[in-house]
Amino acid sequence: MIQKTPGRPRARRGGAVAGLWNAGPLTRITLLATIVLSVFPIYWMLVVATRTNDVVGSTPPPLVPGGELGRNLSRLFGNEQAHFTLGLVNSAIAATTVTVSTLLFASLAGFAFAKLRFRGRGALLLVMLATMMVPVQMGIIPLYMLMAEIGWTGELQAVIVPFLVTGFGVFMMRQYTMQALPDELIESARIDGCSTFRIYWSVVLPVMRPAMAVLGLFTFMQTWNEFIWPLAVLDPDNPTVQYSLNLLNGAYYTDYSLMFTGTAVATLPLLAVFVLFGRQIISGIMDGALKA
Amino acid sequence: MRRSHRRLVSGLASVAVMALGLSACGDAGSDAGSDGTVTLTVDTFSTFGYEELFKRYEADHPGIKIKHRNVVQLDEYLPRLEQWIAAGSGAGDVVAIEEGILTKFMASPDKFVNLLDHGAGSLKAGFLDWKWRQALSPDGKYLVGLGTDIGGLAMCYRTDLFEKAGLPTDRAEVGELWPTWDAYIDTGRKYAAEVKDSKFVDGSVNLFNTILAQTASQSAGYTFFDTSGKLVADSNPPVRSAWDTTLRIQQAGLSAGLKSFEPSWGSGFKQAKFATIACPSWMLGVIKENAGAEASGKWDVAAIPGGSGSRGGSFLAVPKQSRHAAEAAELAKYLTGVQSQIAAFKARNNLPSSPQALDDPAVTSFKNEYFNDAPVGQIYARGAKAIKPLYLGADTNPVQQRFEDALLALEQGRLAPDAAWEKALDDAEREAR
Amino acid sequence: MTVSIGSRAGARAVRPPGPPPPRRGARTVLARWDVKLSPYLFISPYFLLFFLFGLFPMGYTVWVALHDWELLGTREFVGLENFRLVLTDPQFWNAVRNTLGMFVIATVPQLLLALVLANALNQRMRARTLVRMGVLVPMVTSIAAVAIVFGQLFSRDFGMVNWVLGWFGVENLDWTARRWTSWLAISVMVDWRWTGYNALIYLAAMQSIPRDLYEAAAIDGASRARQFWSITLPMLRPTIIFTAIVSTIGGFQLFTEPLLFGNGDMAGGSLRQFQTVTMYMFENAFRRFDYGYASAVSWMIFMLILLGSLLNFVWLRRMGGTK
Repeated sequence: MIQKTPGRPRARRGGAVAGLWNAGPLTRITLLATIVLSVFPIYWMLVVATRTNDVVGSTPPPLVPGGELGRNLSRLFGNEQAHFTLGLVNSAIAATTVTVSTLLFASLAGFAFAKLRFRGRGALLLVMLATMMVPVQMGIIPLYMLMAEIGWTGELQAVIVPFLVTGFGVFMMRQYTMQALPDELIESARIDGCSTFRIYWSVVLPVMRPAMAVLGLFTFMQTWNEFIWPLAVLDPDNPTVQYSLNLLNGAYYTDYSLMFTGTAVATLPLLAVFVLFGRQIISGIMDGALKA
Repeated sequence: MRRSHRRLVSGLASVAVMALGLSACGDAGSDAGSDGTVTLTVDTFSTFGYEELFKRYEADHPGIKIKHRNVVQLDEYLPRLEQWIAAGSGAGDVVAIEEGILTKFMASPDKFVNLLDHGAGSLKAGFLDWKWRQALSPDGKYLVGLGTDIGGLAMCYRTDLFEKAGLPTDRAEVGELWPTWDAYIDTGRKYAAEVKDSKFVDGSVNLFNTILAQTASQSAGYTFFDTSGKLVADSNPPVRSAWDTTLRIQQAGLSAGLKSFEPSWGSGFKQAKFATIACPSWMLGVIKENAGAEASGKWDVAAIPGGSGSRGGSFLAVPKQSRHAAEAAELAKYLTGVQSQIAAFKARNNLPSSPQALDDPAVTSFKNEYFNDAPVGQIYARGAKAIKPLYLGADTNPVQQRFEDALLALEQGRLAPDAAWEKALDDAEREAR
Repeated sequence: MTVSIGSRAGARAVRPPGPPPPRRGARTVLARWDVKLSPYLFISPYFLLFFLFGLFPMGYTVWVALHDWELLGTREFVGLENFRLVLTDPQFWNAVRNTLGMFVIATVPQLLLALVLANALNQRMRARTLVRMGVLVPMVTSIAAVAIVFGQLFSRDFGMVNWVLGWFGVENLDWTARRWTSWLAISVMVDWRWTGYNALIYLAAMQSIPRDLYEAAAIDGASRARQFWSITLPMLRPTIIFTAIVSTIGGFQLFTEPLLFGNGDMAGGSLRQFQTVTMYMFENAFRRFDYGYASAVSWMIFMLILLGSLLNFVWLRRMGGTK
């Protein structure tokens, strides 16, 4: 929407331009309150996960972790309804596969749309952009019927194969490649007699790396957190981790410490990724905002 | 046309998959292993009490492994089962069919193996006659399922809360408090006068369902749908009378307003938020599961107001899609056999649908430790053979859910009684469309 | 999203080594094929997958929607009957109303808060990255996790929200029972997860506003607030339109939060007070197994999203235009 002119220096990262004004007390309070509100539910999840179910509803609520985490964990992984271990493994497989293939296919297609000329490019790009507007849920019924026809319901590939590459990923890679990769690099590689794939592999990929990191993180997070489609297409005995959470939720009675342990374990991998790559994720969102 | 289209789709998809280097796995768990063992998948919901039986069966049949898949919530389980059966894949080799959905499946019996082809015919005497006929085609040639349990009725109550209210706690005396639902309400009023921090009954939803099943099986023999499948919720007297009775209990301020099988209902058991709950035999397992060890010995079982009836109960069937139909049929026969029904009763109090099991001393003399050593065998089995069957139309479950919603809205103070009744009827019509 | 995809991008594309240097041999032929075919090869995985799992199912939905198509049983062509039924279906319009209501009470405060937050973040401070991460962290939690945790916080008898409200003499609220309470609780879940994200997007846009605009305004004696209204907001307009459209698309797909808030009840409460259109579609497809009707519902959702995005666009444009 705001077109970034290709040559513009990417100076916004520097601290110098970060703010025009010094933060006043009101600002500090606003930010502090926001952070507390943002973090509290996650913290609360961890507190309940380390305590017995009886503390839920006791007043005042306990605000420090207890010592029940080990017992809760063994109850979680021993729960026969939720298949939690399988859910974790399935989600790891699905998220990894989808991420790797999205990176590969999106960078290939993004490169083609950004830097190669071929008949029908404009039209195909338009088609792709139009598809990005279509909500996923639209296709959920026929997609389910399709899965039923080919016997994939209940199988893990049903939550992997349809999502191996997204229009969003292709679009993001195209936008990045257009502004980050000088045409001359490609030209000179051509003159050196490189094949197109070779150019992609040794010239384009290295340049794309920062954008790919962001796309990879986003794709992983999204696949890991996907809920509605696994719920529709998978069966309770072969769930993803989010589906497992729902199974814990639907047990006989609500054992909050068990459920919260589940949500904590399901959230922890992403939380770790977030802590490690927070800076990249933030700049990814902010860069993306200017290009979208 | 359809076939070629299907082939095209699956062809395209498999090309795509192969191109992507993934391989489709076989159907879950139904394959014969390399060493010749057959794995049978059994799908159940709630609590069937089969764990020990599976172990025993595996020990007696070295070539068979059993994989048990259980979904706790019936509302979760039924749509899955319907999808599996319709799609022709995904279902276990043996599946539990709850009575509310049986009619729907009876309309397309070809989706299931005819158990008469697997020698089930000789077992007829092992089941109550009506239970046997429910899963049998009208011409008597196609048997879709074998009965597991029936839902004899009783009223469970908390002795500690009754004591607090100055009511008798002995189960015989408690049963005498309420020969009728009116007497039950009077008792509730006495209770409410004494005990303020908990209510007399869990909620309208469970009450309504129980009273409806009870009164309908004593009179019309059907509930929301007549035996021709026509929606008669507005004209069938038991529906209205169950509604009115429930309403009176609610208006007397006796209900804790909890909806069965919701988390708050489960917590209500833990926190002793109510003193009585109408309990079909299968409910005992649910109560124990919810109330937990700390409530052991506090619950007891008395006769239900208004006389006998049956609510709930299931069947085991073998879907046509099973690759091991013969083995699965054997397992279904075993699990519904007299001895197995007795074992399931002991494990989870699922009341046998077999007259021999109902007469068996192991059942009649069975006492449930958790429920203050109540002689549950005697309580439930006594009237069981006199129970008259209920016909449940194909869309009974969704219609029932709409009635539950209306009662809940009433309880939440969101609707006036007449409006709630109208709404339930309107929505029922929508579901039956 | 306004993206130029036409001529400008095309002009900058690498000229394929058009007339290849006059060299003979297999390599040249290969190279020519390589240049011709590689682009198609590169984009084909996307289009193949999109065709199989995106376009084909969507087109198929139209076909299904024209039938009385049930899981077990009938499959009969009925023309536009399903659409006619949807348009006169009070349960559908109830779901539309709920979706719109929750969309408004979730999105409007969310975007306003995000603006305030972005403005706060756009100032000099220490530990900048850490603060931003603190604001953004809700995004990493899954919707299912959010719904479970908030479901507990909002529970009638054991929830912390009711406990805190109790200090002010409010009786324990059954948040699921009423329309406005359920909408509010669900909106809180949505906003908790997305406000920080939108704030970062606004922040990015704020930082790309040239500094000299503010400096000039300061020289003219404009106050900070005045600068915000007359510089920051107008410059942010395209970004606000963008986030509003994204929120519209997200808002119409609201599903997991209300579903888990009602403990998995597809009907969304005793009076369907928080059933969204997506839940209604799901209920028809996977509870009633009325595929034909559910497909018609899904097309109606699509139309509503298009309409909503368009209205957003026009409205925010016009609103900005009068400034």
